[in-house]
Amino acid sequence: MAGDGETLSRVYLYEDPSSPTLDLREVATHIAKVCGIPAAVREEFLLHHGTDDIDFLAKEMAAARVTDIARTLGTVEPPSQLILFERRQLESPGRRVHGVLYDGGRVQRILRGALPPKERTLDTPHVAFTSRLVGTFGDADRRYHARATVLGYPSLISTTGLVEGPAKPREFYVAKRGLRIETADARYELLKENFAGRFLDFDDPRLTQVAKGYALQALFYHITGEPFCDDKDCVLFNAHWQEELLHAQVKSGVLCARHAKVARALRDGRKTRTR
Amino acid sequence: MTLTAPSEAAEVYGGATPRHHGRQDNVIYAARLENRSGSVIMPIFQPASEAEVTRAILKGFTRDLERYAESEVVVVGGGPSGLMAARDLAKAGVEVVVIERNNYIGGGFWIGGFLMNTITLRAPAQKVLDEIGCPYEEYSKNLFVTPGPHACSKLIAATMDAGARIQNMTSFEDVVIREENRVGGVVINWTPVQALPHEITCVDPIALESDLVIDATGHDALVIQSLEKRGLAKRIGEGGMWIERSEDAVVEHTGLAYPGVIVAGMAVCSTYGLPRMGPTFGGMLLSGRRAAEEALRQLNKGVPAAKPSETKSKAIARKR
Repeated sequence: MAGDGETLSRVYLYEDPSSPTLDLREVATHIAKVCGIPAAVREEFLLHHGTDDIDFLAKEMAAARVTDIARTLGTVEPPSQLILFERRQLESPGRRVHGVLYDGGRVQRILRGALPPKERTLDTPHVAFTSRLVGTFGDADRRYHARATVLGYPSLISTTGLVEGPAKPREFYVAKRGLRIETADARYELLKENFAGRFLDFDDPRLTQVAKGYALQALFYHITGEPFCDDKDCVLFNAHWQEELLHAQVKSGVLCARHAKVARALRDGRKTRTR
Repeated sequence: MTLTAPSEAAEVYGGATPRHHGRQDNVIYAARLENRSGSVIMPIFQPASEAEVTRAILKGFTRDLERYAESEVVVVGGGPSGLMAARDLAKAGVEVVVIERNNYIGGGFWIGGFLMNTITLRAPAQKVLDEIGCPYEEYSKNLFVTPGPHACSKLIAATMDAGARIQNMTSFEDVVIREENRVGGVVINWTPVQALPHEITCVDPIALESDLVIDATGHDALVIQSLEKRGLAKRIGEGGMWIERSEDAVVEHTGLAYPGVIVAGMAVCSTYGLPRMGPTFGGMLLSGRRAAEEALRQLNKGVPAAKPSETKSKAIARKR
């Protein structure tokens, strides 16, 4: 992936209607300010690029669902209940789906297929926020891993993945194991309260701030082919722990010096070009 | 006060003629009440012959069976999700019957985790307790507790008060298949028939027709299982990962799983591959409610299907 930052016409951000605390207009303003690239906000991806054949989309989405985390997806026909479920989801994208993992590559392919040809160009990056939890299969340990983002064309940012992808503090899991509680147990919510603020939760008021950094990761990947930064203070840092995520995105909230320089060059280049 | 034996009671009636049909020895005599001095006060029950009792049972049962031989909805499984679905549907005026394989109704709702009969619900499920008039306490913020027997008996009563009928000791055997493989009812048999060896209980089942079947059979997902045997559906099995809110997941997945079949409660987990839940019941109650809503949509009764554009605009409106 390598679009030319100076020739990018516009970045399109797609809403996740199930996230009331996500303000993509603020994210769009942030992108324009940092990189000088105009960003537009659109409604949910598949609603915006909707198709008349919702049954086809439902079937494709059902086939992208991971039912065994230790196996890559095959080409098996998805069962009818999954197709009917996906159809309901497509009709009401405002409902968050909990507990379901989708193959990020497959979802990307479905979304890419829905793009009109004139927008399917490297000059037009698309960043789709979604409530669906997406993952990628790790060749090293032969299993799927939940991800906050699956970057590519289009890039996916999962609002569920931001919560469930990066690990919570170690002490949280120790306490959970000690109490022998399941996630559906009411005590799980009480346990979470003891660790309040130390990880991102659903409908977290910090979500928009976090989304700014992750949108920049998608954009930098589109332009440079390198999404992440090793600097823990940079918003491009690839956080594996919630505390790292919150540190990079909320406490720091800025690009490191090196990436700030890249962003400045982008802005200047675009200014020069437009003069 | 003492109760005398029925053989002595005949003398006590004296000139009074007990109401009876048939032979004199078939008369069921009222018990005699005596005070401390031994004098008779009054009989407790009015007399009724054995044959009359039998006819009453038969007529009541056949009247009900005749009515629900053709229902709008058959709920298979009388646990919390099945009862909740049946109660909401009956309240909405839908002809609904619950099939339960056990003698007792309520499934696991009588008892909480580790055989302790305090059940827990997370907000907003306590609102269901308000609706059925079951008292509860707030254990901590958004976590509510109530005795299982109280909640369960209230839910059963509320379901029947709403007009749903319950057929217990009746096991689901199979689905009725209609054109284009749509499910159009259930095949049932007495539970004791299933419990005995086939050689001595060669009893054919009967079928109930319905517009919709709700599979609320718990982990087994028996209705979906019967479709699976015919190669018409496939259960994914319980499992799943990365889940913080499995109760939410169960409610969200509740809905039409196959033409004519809605899945509710724990049956949702094995049908869709969701993790088992802990001992909280809010998910079961709200899954039942969601199943009823979906059934009303399918029956074109009251709950309109959301249009994509409306859903989105509402969602956006909420955000702004």
